[in-house]
Amino acid sequence: MKPHKTGRAHASGTGSVTRFPRDAWYALARADEVGRSPAGRVVHGTGVVLYRTSAGTVAALADRCAHRPYPLSLGRVAGDLLISSYSGFAYGPDGRVVSVPTQKRVPVGAAVRAYPVREYAGLVWVWTGSPGLASRRPLPALPWLTEPDWTTFGADWETAAAGGLLQDNFADITHVPHLDPALAPPVLHQVPPRLDVEVTEQQVRFRRDFPPARLQTWQSEATGLPPEGEYAQHEEGWFAAPGLWADRWDVLVPGEPLTLHFTHALTPVDERRTRHYWAVSRNFSPKPETTGILRPILDGYYRKVKDALEVMQALVDREGPAPEVRVRADAALLEVRRVMRRLLTEDTAR
Amino acid sequence: MTLSAETVLHELEMDVVVRSVRVESDGVRSLELAPAAAGDRLPPWTPGAHIDVLLGSGADALVRQYSLCGDAGEAEDRGSWRIAVLRTEDSRGGSRYVHDTLREGDIVTVRGPRNHFALAGSPRYLFIAGGIGITPILPMLAQAEAAGADWRLVYGGRSRAAMAFTDRLAAYGGKVALVPQDEQGPLDLDGLLGTPEPDTLVYCCGPAGLLDAVEAKCASWPSGVLHMERFTPIAADDAQNLEFTVVLQRSGLTLTVPADKSVYSVCRENDVSVLASCLEGICGTCETEVLDGEVEHRDAILDEHERAANNTMMICVSRCRGGKLTLDL
Repeated sequence: MKPHKTGRAHASGTGSVTRFPRDAWYALARADEVGRSPAGRVVHGTGVVLYRTSAGTVAALADRCAHRPYPLSLGRVAGDLLISSYSGFAYGPDGRVVSVPTQKRVPVGAAVRAYPVREYAGLVWVWTGSPGLASRRPLPALPWLTEPDWTTFGADWETAAAGGLLQDNFADITHVPHLDPALAPPVLHQVPPRLDVEVTEQQVRFRRDFPPARLQTWQSEATGLPPEGEYAQHEEGWFAAPGLWADRWDVLVPGEPLTLHFTHALTPVDERRTRHYWAVSRNFSPKPETTGILRPILDGYYRKVKDALEVMQALVDREGPAPEVRVRADAALLEVRRVMRRLLTEDTAR
Repeated sequence: MTLSAETVLHELEMDVVVRSVRVESDGVRSLELAPAAAGDRLPPWTPGAHIDVLLGSGADALVRQYSLCGDAGEAEDRGSWRIAVLRTEDSRGGSRYVHDTLREGDIVTVRGPRNHFALAGSPRYLFIAGGIGITPILPMLAQAEAAGADWRLVYGGRSRAAMAFTDRLAAYGGKVALVPQDEQGPLDLDGLLGTPEPDTLVYCCGPAGLLDAVEAKCASWPSGVLHMERFTPIAADDAQNLEFTVVLQRSGLTLTVPADKSVYSVCRENDVSVLASCLEGICGTCETEVLDGEVEHRDAILDEHERAANNTMMICVSRCRGGKLTLDL
């Protein structure tokens, strides 16, 4: 007999989390990608097909016909039904087979899995775990993506690296001045200030306050603040859920700070590939010229991150995991891994 | 030597207002807690989680751990937390304070939540609750139900009138067996646990006597099925303490832990930020990875197998067998 604890399970010490819990929301598409034609996606190595019903709500079904292993995403939508273009089986948005071409009666219980789905913050989120738990675990609120006083741009792509490597990357921002010196505000090149890491059962937040310093060129261009001015700055990172990171950077000026929110939806395609949706939102200068200044800087940085993490994944693939030397600034990263391990033990769907 | 960045690690601490107080049974009151500051949001939690409640102030300040017993998933519960407290005369002050001093509208500080009693995924559960030990089990039932698991609860108490939340449990019908001791005698643990059931996890919370008995009865069950939570410290004889060396690998520090100090307090004195809460080996907050050396465990959290594995320790109370420990700090 061994009473089992599911608390701060001890770390492997050998590298990154590669498995993500099923009982979680993951972004599978931008809302504008899902329409009246079926769209195929992969999460946890399993296909999911998305389409809109005639009422405009999104349905998410297993992307595999119950009759033969043919993707439903290669089929067509008719009314509210999704029809396999191999078997002709017709599926309702709840996954149930409503008609088959060769007989009058539908085989008893014929259905594919239907996933709880939510459209929020411009993305289509799918609950990949036990369906009954979906309504009990709301998505964290992302007001900067839903309220009108913010201006947002972004992109998405697949990174050929485990989701854990992306989480590690966002949990440890000390690499930024090394990876992209032109992006990093000058304060990041100085001795780093106190790093404050705050944990709860499921979320981790870190904060740093920087003393007044000059801005990076792109910062003063985007904000319109004079390049010779010195401004205190504040940084926050937030592990909100397994599939969701949100960072912010404030430039402190009289009144409301000038804020950038960086939202990252991370979706485990499989153990080595991650879909990365990123969005940058600002509460200042909504004009397109400002987006024109910011977009190449951030897009360039996130591509560098993608390249670096793909190099890491290739190295781990070649040599396997290895013990890692940790520093004090890894506190946030280690807490995130702890939460991820815990959520995996709690997972109800396997 | 270059200065490493100072890193401060702490749990979320928040002021909450006692939004309502409800009498749940003879001797049990529940408090509904909501953020005191407009715009603050309570963080998400899952069944089995508990919070620290900081009661009183100054020299009389107390820190107590209470399980969250609302429904983690109910829409109306998202904006608030519920804890339930049994009035005990031999209490160390926490339950008396909650029953006699706290009123609706009062503000208290809470820390957490944290969870060392998480509900692992399983097709089947047997829940055993004794008295106020029902509190962490309540939200587990709702989750097991929502996940479509097969489950039953056996809930013992002194008397029907003393047993809290029986109204909420009535909705589950025959899955719940209420066993008031004055009517039916003590829980029949032989009948419940005598034969191991396949694919079943056992979750138990209640008085120490019940936990000990359940642990003994589960000896014939497969390893890993029994999950328990204790909220009482294990007595230790500090007079026998010895000095030892602790190597904090991540920080690059080697420190001496004198006989009259803990690893935790030595870390604090040297500006190494570590999480901790109860400082008596019951809450699990300060669990730290052990890289080398043999631990002398003095906490109430790890079981004998986890102790023997020597992977982690509670640095607030546990010490060193032999002269040196290397920790991931």
